[in-house]
Amino acid sequence: MMDRTKYLYLAGTVVLAAAPAVLNTYWVDVLNNVGMYAILGLSLNLIVGHAGLFNLGHAAFYAIGAYTAAILNSHFHIPVLWLLPLSALTAGLFALMIARPIIHLRGDYLCIVTIGVGEIVRIALINNVFGITGGANGIFGIDRPQIFGWVIRRPQEFYYLIWLFLMVTVFLFQRLENSRFGRALNYLREDETAAEGSGIHTAHYKLMAFVIGAAWAGMVGNIFAAKMTIISPESFSFWESVLMFTLVILGGSGSIPGVLLGALLIIGLPELFRGFANARMAIFGVAMVAMMIFRTGGILPARPRTYRLPQPAAAVEAKP
Amino acid sequence: MEQFFQQLTNGLAVGGIYALIALGYTMVYGVLKLINFAHGDLFTIGAYLGLTLLTSLSLTDRLGPFWGVVALAAMAMGLVALVGALLERVAYRPLRESPRLSAVVSALGASIFLSNAVMLIYGARFHVYPQDLLPKITLDLFGLQLPLVRVLILAASLVMMTALYLFIQKTRIGTAIRAAAIDQGAARLMGIDVDRVILLVFLIGPALGGVAGVMVGIYYGQINFTMGWTYGLKAFTAAILGGIGNIPGAMVGGLLLGVIEAMGAAYISIAWKDAIAFCILIAILIVRPTGLLGERVAEKV
Amino acid sequence: MKRTLWGALALSLLLAGPVMAADGIKIGLMGPMTGSWASEGQEMKQVLDLLAKAVNDQGGLLGKPVVVVSEDDGGDPRTAALAAQRLATQGVVAVVGTYGSAVSEATQNIYNEAKIIQIANGSTAIRLSEKGLKYFFRTCPRDDEQGRVAVQAIEKMGAKKVAILHDNTTYAKGLADEAKSLLAGKAEVVFFEALTPKEQDYTAILTKLKAAAPEVVFFTGYYPEGGLLLRQKMEMNWPVPFIGGDATNNPDLVKIAGNKACAGFRFLSAPLPKDLPSEGAKSFLSQFQTQYGSQPSSIYAVLAGDGFRVLCEAIKAVGSTDPDKVAAYLHKDFKNFPGLTGAISFNEKGDRVGEVYRVYQVDAAGNFILQP
Repeated sequence: MMDRTKYLYLAGTVVLAAAPAVLNTYWVDVLNNVGMYAILGLSLNLIVGHAGLFNLGHAAFYAIGAYTAAILNSHFHIPVLWLLPLSALTAGLFALMIARPIIHLRGDYLCIVTIGVGEIVRIALINNVFGITGGANGIFGIDRPQIFGWVIRRPQEFYYLIWLFLMVTVFLFQRLENSRFGRALNYLREDETAAEGSGIHTAHYKLMAFVIGAAWAGMVGNIFAAKMTIISPESFSFWESVLMFTLVILGGSGSIPGVLLGALLIIGLPELFRGFANARMAIFGVAMVAMMIFRTGGILPARPRTYRLPQPAAAVEAKP
Repeated sequence: MEQFFQQLTNGLAVGGIYALIALGYTMVYGVLKLINFAHGDLFTIGAYLGLTLLTSLSLTDRLGPFWGVVALAAMAMGLVALVGALLERVAYRPLRESPRLSAVVSALGASIFLSNAVMLIYGARFHVYPQDLLPKITLDLFGLQLPLVRVLILAASLVMMTALYLFIQKTRIGTAIRAAAIDQGAARLMGIDVDRVILLVFLIGPALGGVAGVMVGIYYGQINFTMGWTYGLKAFTAAILGGIGNIPGAMVGGLLLGVIEAMGAAYISIAWKDAIAFCILIAILIVRPTGLLGERVAEKV
Repeated sequence: MKRTLWGALALSLLLAGPVMAADGIKIGLMGPMTGSWASEGQEMKQVLDLLAKAVNDQGGLLGKPVVVVSEDDGGDPRTAALAAQRLATQGVVAVVGTYGSAVSEATQNIYNEAKIIQIANGSTAIRLSEKGLKYFFRTCPRDDEQGRVAVQAIEKMGAKKVAILHDNTTYAKGLADEAKSLLAGKAEVVFFEALTPKEQDYTAILTKLKAAAPEVVFFTGYYPEGGLLLRQKMEMNWPVPFIGGDATNNPDLVKIAGNKACAGFRFLSAPLPKDLPSEGAKSFLSQFQTQYGSQPSSIYAVLAGDGFRVLCEAIKAVGSTDPDKVAAYLHKDFKNFPGLTGAISFNEKGDRVGEVYRVYQVDAAGNFILQP
């Protein structure tokens, strides 16, 4: 079983590495978008899928990461890629600040608060808060990322940057999922009272998931800013949060392959539907409902995990 | 001071409409624990259907302005209720036993579909209700300018909300709805047909949303296919503010949100008014985690 | 069962793929076909389809038919960047569009690197043409030009206390800022704030505006909000005159507000086709009327049409579709072309030159009357 998955991942990697050679620039750029949303989806998956927190304001953290990179790069000319950790830090700190008082809210109340935070951030950006966000115009003239003097400019080059970042993310998040931290999150998602009873500090773990997810989204914001070279508040609307949320649930919340597939569908389908002209979004809506009805738990839901006990002897000892 | 009272009436008028839409969110949520994100689009459909009925049947010519508008509202309510029931059957019933967030995504998909379907049918241009459906009289009350239509709209929404409240509290069917909201399993054991209750909720909620659409059309004149998204989000906020699942809560939440927005715009900043409203909402939720009138219940798993 | 359904879905996806266009000169159209500004984009497409048909009926360009390839930018920068990449890979020689300034900006680099001429039709933000991009042009004037004319009009009205209301979009904010700085020393700006677009109740804002007691209100936003403001202002019995930017130029403004509320409203605009003496504009309007059953509602759609006509003219004059030659021609030798919206020439930045803006006033019957 494990081997098959490994081969699947390997085959996928080969196909992905070869993709830019086969596809035209447009499709490569579609894949870039898929890649960015896949990372955003994975970061949100930690919050929604693992910790079970209903977050519909993830675009706020994405925005803060993007604006951190844009402001520091355009004012102080610090290369954007160096700003990756800083984007993560500001987004994470912001998440920590706002999540602390609200983390105890029940599901749907948390949902509206996260929507509210998303809107507050967007409105603040539009109104040129602190005079540094450029208001509705946004910030322009952001540098392209450089790696050892090599400027990443074409979509094909961004493709490797984004998908490499995605692979690292998948690798790290898979480790995280199976760590003590990941298991604790799943426990408290399933039964918070029982988790609390088993000595898991639930508020602390929820907060950690929130902060890590937000920080990761901030890093995607950094790459987005460098890729577009201009960012404006309309790129971080409530609709973006909805897209991220949808791709997580549609793909299969809590499941990494599910989220990757979700990103492919949610970003890819509207592009495929371009042939329908004005009707493309209507058809996309129908497709969303249909996919949800046919696969109620998401398309690739997380499989229940099985852990083998280390040795049979341990099982015998456990008996009274 | 005059400005204060003027802004208060401004806020209450908008709040009345938020409250009517919020009722649809809260009723569906009360029974199904589902945030029906497509509810705002049912409101849009109400506004568009109202316009079609108005222009094709020329109701106000036949029945006079008042009864014409009442008949129009009733017909729009009926049609939107049917759309709501259909939506429940197609998009939500297959997901009733599945994880709750799956149904939310289905609702989002339905919302995208409905608003774009309206665009494809009616076109993307703004549509406009005929002017002067109701007499344009502005009452001058101690220096306050109150357009008559605005007073009527607030009154109509209060009447409908009270009627709904009495229906839920005093009738057998209303009792069944409340029972199903508390515990579906137990309600079933008591002989309540929960499927029918859910159907009923999906008739009443959208009907109220539909009539709100017609009211917005008559009063503001301008309707467009994306308006459901804006109003829907506001109404959802209102429902949460009052305590979602709680009918008086939706009314209080709606009116309060309208007033908060008007006051925020008047005394702090117009551009920041939505952010101010959200800040107040968050502050209220930190103090009262289940909204103003919400029940204090532990997290259900 | 499930497999069949998935199969059907996959098949429908394949069928939805782009239909390959026949051989010809491809001109791209990038506009918002879905989303909040869908009415603008859809009308841009109507105008271009009509004009392309006229060109093809007369034998096409350089002996080849003209094909309009339209892509949806959704009114959103990210979608627009994808639309631009897609147009670039479909072999278009030039692109008309798009509406929003921030949306155009997200695509400028893509077209420039792909050497595709872009003629924007509604993106009036000043900085778009300040980057020295060789292939960027626009048929709409810039915000500074509009701000200048607006301030002239306000001065003419003799107002000393002016309120400026914008809606925090790139365009409206830019125009509002421009007007504010130009008004300095000439009149006092007693109110400067932004409303939230897409709402319907602006009474709270009007009440606050009224308290500031301006003699004239300059609204720089778009017609849906403009119409509602006028209507609700009348219901408040507040007679202050309003003046709007060119985004309020739309017959739907009168439909929304009603004739009575609109009467006396002034706005700035490029001359409407009906006020142009040129035969081209008149015949275009009558063709549009016969084809689609109504007059074009948006001036930006007509400006997109001008972009298309400029391209056809330039390609014809140069005798090739080579972007460098066409761009050089447009920059230097292209002078006083009779456009649908008046004479068109470009300066070295690609901006349209000449006095484009006029002041219009709405009369009691809801007609737009050109002011001398």
